Amino acid sequence: MLFIAVTMIFTSCGNNSGSSNESITKTNDSSSQSKNSNISETKSSTAISDVVSHYLHLKNALTNDNGNDAASAAKELGSTLTKVDESTLTPEQKKVYDDLKDDIKEHAEHIGANGSNIEHQREHFDLLSKDMIDFVKATGSSTTLYRDFCPMYNNKKGAYWLSETKEIKNPYYGSEMLKCGVVKEEIKPKG
Amino acid sequence: MRLIKKIMLGLLIILILIQFIQPIRNNGSMISSTDLTKTMHVPENVQSILKIACYDCHSNNTNYPWYSRVQPFGWLLAKHIRNGKTEINFNEFGSYSLRRQISKLSGIAKSIEKETMPLSSYKLLHKNARLSEEDKTLLIGWATRTKDSLSMNH
Repeated sequence: MLFIAVTMIFTSCGNNSGSSNESITKTNDSSSQSKNSNISETKSSTAISDVVSHYLHLKNALTNDNGNDAASAAKELGSTLTKVDESTLTPEQKKVYDDLKDDIKEHAEHIGANGSNIEHQREHFDLLSKDMIDFVKATGSSTTLYRDFCPMYNNKKGAYWLSETKEIKNPYYGSEMLKCGVVKEEIKPKG
Repeated sequence: MRLIKKIMLGLLIILILIQFIQPIRNNGSMISSTDLTKTMHVPENVQSILKIACYDCHSNNTNYPWYSRVQPFGWLLAKHIRNGKTEINFNEFGSYSLRRQISKLSGIAKSIEKETMPLSSYKLLHKNARLSEEDKTLLIGWATRTKDSLSMNH
């Protein structure tokens, strides 16, 4: 059973007054998830949580405006992705993973190769984050994650990212606008 | 003086010798079944811009200029084509995962908007690849619309 508590918080950037909160709680039954805890699955789920932790490392590097650190985190993300054992995934998870893996790999490579061009890294981070959100939703997370939204990025079309902290620290603008953004969803760990 | 003459002669010989090292030419099958235009509807005017300004480096078929036979220009070209095809190969667009197609379309729109593509070194010698404002608007509009419709069906 996987419980996803969805917390929508309606606030806008640079506007601290009048925030109305609304909580919706959704319950998702994921009985299709394998309960076998053999060794290979443990390895694979370690790889999956490693992918997530390298993504979070990358996110924090961008938050700190550190392109080189972001590049090395992205390279690790790319190499960890190859360690995910597809045979341990359920058919549904595999379908999502197959669609995602090439794209994740490519964004990771671009971020890895552009340590001196943080703006370009952030463009790929936007697309990578979309992938990672779907990745985490399909495989489940081992820790609580927050799906955050920055309404200003992409010519005000907005962009999402995943964070391990409830406090907003914006990876798209870094120190320029660190507090800009809202928590859209809380993703609870599976189990 | 004699030393300079010797160096010049040496360079000349090297220049002549390297002409014999011709890179493999990028001339694959004409139009593959995974080509962008076979995978989705692409308006005629967008197709022709893509073919003139992009396909030389982003497909399996390059329309080579005369200087590609002259080294080291041919090598430089071969390198651009190799990198270009890794980034996006319009002949193989249909074989990309849906997710990757969406990413690529968004990349097309961004690179044209920021004028990182076509490469300025390419535009220098290819007048046709210098996109007008209308061409850019057309391409960006097409890429964005296609991306959005793919994302919706996802």
